[in-house]
Amino acid sequence: MGWTGTIINGVLLGGLYGLFGVGLALVFGVTRIVNIMHGEFIALSAFIALGIAALFPDAHPLLLILPVVVVSFVLGYALQAVFVNRSMRLPDPLAPLLLTFGLSVIVRNLMIEGFGVNPRHIRAGDFGQLSIDVFGVPVGVLPLVTLALAVGLFVILQVLLRRTKLGRIVRATADNAEIVRLMGVRPASVYNIVMGLSFALAGVAGLMLALRTTFTPFSGVERLLISFEVVVMGGLGSFWGAMLAGIALGVAQLVGLRLNPNSGFLYANLVFFAFVMLRPNGLFGARQ
Amino acid sequence: MKHQLVPIATLGVFIVLAAAAPWLVGDGGIGLLFEVLLMLAMAQLWNLLAGYTGLVSMGLQCFVGLGGYTTIFAANTLSVSPYWVLPLAPIVCGLVGAFSALFLFRLRDAYFSISTWVFAEVVAMLVFIAPGLGHVTGMTLTTARGIDYETFLLANFWIASALAAGVVIGIYALLHSPLGLGMLSVRDDDIAAASIGVNVWRNRFIAYVAAAAGCGLAGGISFMAALFITVTTGFDLNWVVAMIFIVIIGGIGTLEGPIVGTAIYYGIRELLTNVFALSGSWYLVTLGAVAVTAMLIAPRGIWPFIRDRFGIEWLSISRKLADAATPARAATITPEAATTSPKRI
Repeated sequence: MGWTGTIINGVLLGGLYGLFGVGLALVFGVTRIVNIMHGEFIALSAFIALGIAALFPDAHPLLLILPVVVVSFVLGYALQAVFVNRSMRLPDPLAPLLLTFGLSVIVRNLMIEGFGVNPRHIRAGDFGQLSIDVFGVPVGVLPLVTLALAVGLFVILQVLLRRTKLGRIVRATADNAEIVRLMGVRPASVYNIVMGLSFALAGVAGLMLALRTTFTPFSGVERLLISFEVVVMGGLGSFWGAMLAGIALGVAQLVGLRLNPNSGFLYANLVFFAFVMLRPNGLFGARQ
Repeated sequence: MKHQLVPIATLGVFIVLAAAAPWLVGDGGIGLLFEVLLMLAMAQLWNLLAGYTGLVSMGLQCFVGLGGYTTIFAANTLSVSPYWVLPLAPIVCGLVGAFSALFLFRLRDAYFSISTWVFAEVVAMLVFIAPGLGHVTGMTLTTARGIDYETFLLANFWIASALAAGVVIGIYALLHSPLGLGMLSVRDDDIAAASIGVNVWRNRFIAYVAAAAGCGLAGGISFMAALFITVTTGFDLNWVVAMIFIVIIGGIGTLEGPIVGTAIYYGIRELLTNVFALSGSWYLVTLGAVAVTAMLIAPRGIWPFIRDRFGIEWLSISRKLADAATPARAATITPEAATTSPKRI
């Protein structure tokens, strides 16, 4: 496979990374919480998808998205309503951080007790093996669908936030949670919805991850750093920035692995560094 | 200097207990206390950054691993006892910390936190692919073989005790100095601090390099005692995760908080894994539940909660006006009261 293939696959991998980061960016943009639980959202969603797939063994794997999104949304909503909102009354940003950290440790270890640490996989059937030719390079359909899905979800999210009443309320709450109270908005309810949406986005990411590769309860925490990098590079709270950052990191990782197969995330991390040094506020961070 | 009595008495009790520890507890107990004291030192250093200068680092594991590799590599290469080369660990880590601060300090808040983590990953990866550092198999300390095991264990324990005491005394003295006051002002509001002539960058730089060097020394001691290091164990994110857990549970921005937090952290571990013989994951579930409960009930940490409820002081760093004869006139600056990091818009 030539360099073209490496770059195309890097872009496709970037679609997945963008998906990892976008939910995190949404939560940070609105609530200012650095959500350490996000990795566990991804892994838990993969297990939820696995459970639903077992119930409907003949369904097309992509049809799993709907139930996974619904279950994830409800879980995210409930977590925010029951736990996280309570820690947000203080001005100290470290309280919610430790709270989500504590929850992530609980969720991860309950997954270990409940599901074990053996790698699992959702059988994608023929769909997982399909590939098409792009510029003479065979490209997997599944990664292509992941990227398309990521772009599609970003567009939906953008429309939701820019064009709907809910979006206006969310943006107003992000700007000033105290003032929106005067307009009859309960910031806590907005945060519940935002956390639900974030978990739903992580749900899609978890499902695509589970279709693409094997996963364990540790799959989420292993991808937490790349998710954070996507958010920071994109500019905290920016979705298109997250998408482009994901693609940049995906390409950097695959190019780096081609140069030195032992380098892991080294090149992606170096690209991250070079970038934040040049633009300390991220790609679209000027507004923040 | 009446208010110095309690801290000095605490130090005295600590020295007596540390000296008598080999007769009070067995080898297993010494091993555990060794680990506890190193973690206490590291947690205090994380607290120095996050609690006193507003630098929330998620990358201190970088210096733990680097300190460990420095010690073992230097001892093996020079064929000398690891004790001779142990001072290299804080020097190397202090230099790397100073170098990384040059560019990490361009970043703020969450950007800084994530970037310190990324920096730690980069260093870990460079150590992993560097020739002569053992790659996946790691490095074994070969020059400690001649030392009697019992002596080695005790010497390491006393070094760890000295480090823990030294870090606590150092931070206590620092926070009573003008430099420490400058640090507190930087944490509370760096722009206001700069406007009254505090050199924000320099204050943060000193704290960061000190934390890097201290964590490097702790890592050097830890892996010298373990006789073995790999990239996975040395640069393990769990080092900094434990520091964060201990400090925030115990009470950020207080000297007592990390002490209380360390006791809770290891208390739970010993209770659940040794007394109740639960598996590691149930222990971690409990630890997570403690973190969640503490943040919901006492979000500023357990020590401030106890202190305010019972009105006790231990290693307080609050400043009282010299002429404050009556309590009504006593103006105190309680650093714990303020938020740790102002929101940036």
